[in-house]
Amino acid sequence: MRLILFDGPEEERAKFYPLSYCRPVWELRCGMTALGEKLIGKLGAQQVAYFVPPYMADAYAERVDGKVNDPSGLAGDDVLLVHGSLKAATLDVAPTGPSEVGMLGDLVAYVRVAQADLGKLDTGSIEAFLASARQALPQVSCRAERFEYVWEVMLDSPHQIIDDFKAAGRSGIEGVIEEPSAIRGNKNDVYVAPGCEVHPMVVIDATEGPVFLDEGVEVHPFTRIEGPAYVGPKTILLGTKLREGCSVGPVCRLGGEIEESVIQGHSNKYHDGFLGHAYVGEWVNLGALTTNSDLKNDYTSVEVIQNGKKIDTGSNKVGALIGDHTKTSIGTLLNTGAIVGSMGMIMATGQPLQKTIPAFAWLVNGVVTKGFGRKALYRTAATAMGRRKQAWTPAIEAMWEAVYELTAPERNEAIKRGRRMAS
Amino acid sequence: MDRLEVQERVIKTTARVLKLDPGEVNLESDFAADLGAESIQSIELVAAFEEEFNIEMDEDAALQVMTVGSAVEFIYDHIVSQKG
Repeated sequence: MRLILFDGPEEERAKFYPLSYCRPVWELRCGMTALGEKLIGKLGAQQVAYFVPPYMADAYAERVDGKVNDPSGLAGDDVLLVHGSLKAATLDVAPTGPSEVGMLGDLVAYVRVAQADLGKLDTGSIEAFLASARQALPQVSCRAERFEYVWEVMLDSPHQIIDDFKAAGRSGIEGVIEEPSAIRGNKNDVYVAPGCEVHPMVVIDATEGPVFLDEGVEVHPFTRIEGPAYVGPKTILLGTKLREGCSVGPVCRLGGEIEESVIQGHSNKYHDGFLGHAYVGEWVNLGALTTNSDLKNDYTSVEVIQNGKKIDTGSNKVGALIGDHTKTSIGTLLNTGAIVGSMGMIMATGQPLQKTIPAFAWLVNGVVTKGFGRKALYRTAATAMGRRKQAWTPAIEAMWEAVYELTAPERNEAIKRGRRMAS
Repeated sequence: MDRLEVQERVIKTTARVLKLDPGEVNLESDFAADLGAESIQSIELVAAFEEEFNIEMDEDAALQVMTVGSAVEFIYDHIVSQKG
């Protein structure tokens, strides 16, 4: 079957900012894999194409094998289009069948089109395709659930690790665990992949959930890993207190205390400091003793200010939501439910910082400034990626230029406010 | 605004941001070598000049400015070009 993932319109994508500035929603990690991997697996798709915002199409095409933003993929054979925010486990749609549009409120959740009906639809663009499908095809109510906001992905991740562990069907020690180390709980709830090295004096506690250490993971002494936990390929844990419910992508360096957080990949939190109920993008570096609050002193639900709107998350545990390529200085204190925009350069003040920090902000003395500008940030990003043998390409830079423009109004307002405060 | 007024306000702003006596700041003063501006303070200086003169300075160009005198020239030229 042919599957097409999409995640528009932009006002829906914006609910996943700052993580969705540079990636489609289905690339968000939840549990052991990304949302899109779960959808593809659930639907058994052999051929997958993608529609992303035009500004990130070239950069995304460098990352995936399938076609990106190619309208020709809308024509041809039977096709199923699925919104990338859907929870795969709740999706009960046969890949082929009568043509229909599945709606979740006002959102097009999926479109299934039999080849015979493709002629009725406008295949000129994804927007035209979806609009014509809504007009020409019968609409049904979609019974699947979806993620609406980025923190919901983080909050669901621990449960998803348990489900993904079962689905993966792997357990046992295929890597090396050096003695003395200890596994608490059922050994069948632990998987140590080939090439994984667990040094002496490590505790893996699977009493509350499974632990999956992927290929090439290195676990240094005095690390404690509490399940459910997933640690991605080639990540290094440096005496980490990895509390329950963490999902960590590939090639991270992690120390300190981390709880129920998602780290997308290629990010560093090398030193002590607490990260709880956080969602961290790629290529982030959290300086020593960077800490986030994830619980208010009065235990009420955490509010997040996203896109200028205050939103009650309904959860009393939400930490920082940190965009890609952001760096924090030593001793940075992040507020409960803080949104830290991508490409930020954050200097500590000794006090919790403001709840919303725009993308490309150089935060100095608690004030948003232009700093040394975005080109300096790009040079740092290229250096960081180069250290992990990844290229900063013209397509990636063009994508970030578009993000810079997209986020300019919020940032410029904050810069003006900051100048007045500082003068 | 004439060049002399720009000069006076640049010196006053520099002294305020770097916590110096205005008498310690002259046109030949190098922000880093003579006035002790750290990299973070150079960011604060750019922000302070923008607020003082109600201008937008290109980050890369502004951070090439090394001395108080060259800051005066840079800002004066900027104001003149905005007017023109």
